[in-house]
Amino acid sequence: MKLYLPAFLFLFSVHLSSEYKFETVLDNLDDAWSFVFLSEDKVLFTEMPGKLKIASLKDKSITNVTNIPEVAYSSQGGLSEVVLDPDFNSNNKIYMSYSANTDNNKITLFLSTAELVNDKLVNSKVIFKAVASRRSPAHMGAKISFLDDGTLILTSGDGYDHREKAQKLDNHFGKTIRINTDGSIPQDNPFISNQNALPEIYSYGHRNMQGLLVTSDGLIYEHEHGPKGGDELNIIKPGLNYGWPAITYGIDYSGAVISPFTQKDGMEQPLLYWDPSIAPSDMIYYEKDLYPEFKNTFLITALVSRDVKQVVFENNEIRQKSLFSDLGFRLRNIQDSPNGYIYILTDGPGNKLIKVIPKK
Amino acid sequence: MKIAKYPFAVFSAALFTVMLITPISSISNLLWLNSVDMPVGIISSLEVLLFDFQRLGILLYGVVIIGFAIAFSFTAVLINFTNISSKYLYALAGAVSIGAAMYLMVELLFESELLGGNRTFVGKVLHWIAGFFGGYFYYSLISKNKNYTFIVRFFGILYAYLILGFVLNWVFTPESAAADYGFVLKDLNDNAQNALIRDFTSFFISTFIFTILGVITLNPTWFLAAGIIYYGAAVFNLYAIFIHGTNYNQIYIGEIILGSWPTIIAFAILYFKKKE
Repeated sequence: MKLYLPAFLFLFSVHLSSEYKFETVLDNLDDAWSFVFLSEDKVLFTEMPGKLKIASLKDKSITNVTNIPEVAYSSQGGLSEVVLDPDFNSNNKIYMSYSANTDNNKITLFLSTAELVNDKLVNSKVIFKAVASRRSPAHMGAKISFLDDGTLILTSGDGYDHREKAQKLDNHFGKTIRINTDGSIPQDNPFISNQNALPEIYSYGHRNMQGLLVTSDGLIYEHEHGPKGGDELNIIKPGLNYGWPAITYGIDYSGAVISPFTQKDGMEQPLLYWDPSIAPSDMIYYEKDLYPEFKNTFLITALVSRDVKQVVFENNEIRQKSLFSDLGFRLRNIQDSPNGYIYILTDGPGNKLIKVIPKK
Repeated sequence: MKIAKYPFAVFSAALFTVMLITPISSISNLLWLNSVDMPVGIISSLEVLLFDFQRLGILLYGVVIIGFAIAFSFTAVLINFTNISSKYLYALAGAVSIGAAMYLMVELLFESELLGGNRTFVGKVLHWIAGFFGGYFYYSLISKNKNYTFIVRFFGILYAYLILGFVLNWVFTPESAAADYGFVLKDLNDNAQNALIRDFTSFFISTFIFTILGVITLNPTWFLAAGIIYYGAAVFNLYAIFIHGTNYNQIYIGEIILGSWPTIIAFAILYFKKKE
């Protein structure tokens, strides 16, 4: 699909937030990173220092979940993503990604599963530990999403100092990982029979992937923080190489050239890239009816541009709108509730969870 | 001039060291790109080397100046208490300050290794060696008497170094250069694109060459020529705004600065020559 186009060509500065009311439903959180709805009025959320909490949106009460795995909280690392098992209502299982110390006192990405029973995690089990040890927890990735076949995808970032390893298949830097929910490896993974590759790898050549979702037609969408001017939105397909850092549209934040090349045979082009960078941090594909203007479009939170980008794919063109920029916050995470309300999590210590209410 | 000699020797030695350091990252990057079968050639190599020297170099320049200023001040005191030759002490101080700067950039500032070329042991050693030569260069500058030409040349080289950024942008990445002026190059028709690329490139490359010739010959005419071009750009920028009704922009302020810099150098040369 030749849809890769410089995003700025289609960037409209339309601010629609005057049509919405923003209600802060949770405030002063301790660097909350992700959240998921247990019901319309109850969310389960992570805080980077290593806390998992349940908040009632009705009375604003917050309960600590106990028996959390120990995490390495610093820089970009800590307790990151939490997602519910597709059969959570019957099995109470959740999945968490986090950075933690390895045996050799380095840090890597872990994925654990546990049952959430009476505000406590039981039967915890590490189901994946990335072969991506690093000195400090930079560029962790750590996004989780489920495929229709019940397997799960995890993003594992390039670790910044290890970017070249994103092109090698003997490690988990800059890769998407596909495993079964018990940690075993699906036998149809693309590199399962490659002796020189780690069998969990699903795609490679990525940087710091902070957005991941699977749409109802089974496509896996991923966005990643690029270097300066090189944030990307991609469709992930098994076994493909997405080029980082051999091809990129950005330059290093130090000003150094990462690569003079933007394309090469055998390396995938992004659906779109952002120049200047927006630092995309999360995304949803909105399919409910509460905001008809967002139906069947991508809503992508951004840290640097401090807004939500609405991305529409139409007639081989990509259109974007900037939403909610008058919130003025770096935006970390976005989810839609069971009833279809959009909730946005701001970024950093003391952050807020904000409900977007249509005025009409 | 005697007092001014020392800070300008630090500035000059730092620039010289940056010139040695940035290719370490560039070359290690090019070697890696080549190892993964990217079509690295002469043009792409030049692009990486020159861009890194200009863009990465500016960032490093500040760091190296601070490192050298501390290290060489300390060395100036230390010299009184040791019999070791000054030139080796300064060279050693340069190496230590570069090593310390690279270490502290990781530990205190970025928590990651910003310089690709400093990620391996060999790369680190090459950085220390660059610092060693930087220190030696500093010693060679302070050990001789200097007149005004030293400072004039320094400011000329610094000016050329900044202009080099514009040159590289228009030569290698005209789309990005155009974006800095607020327009999308690809939106223009072929003739307009061609005209802009050739005129802008020629404009910046000419002033760059004038400046280098000025630095070599110390003939003020070269600096004045560069100044006239940028003053002209400022005047006709305002002309376009007020006579032809184009959008107001503040680029003329930058043009006045870029015009004034070489013009001041030119008049400084004339003044000192007359004084001599």
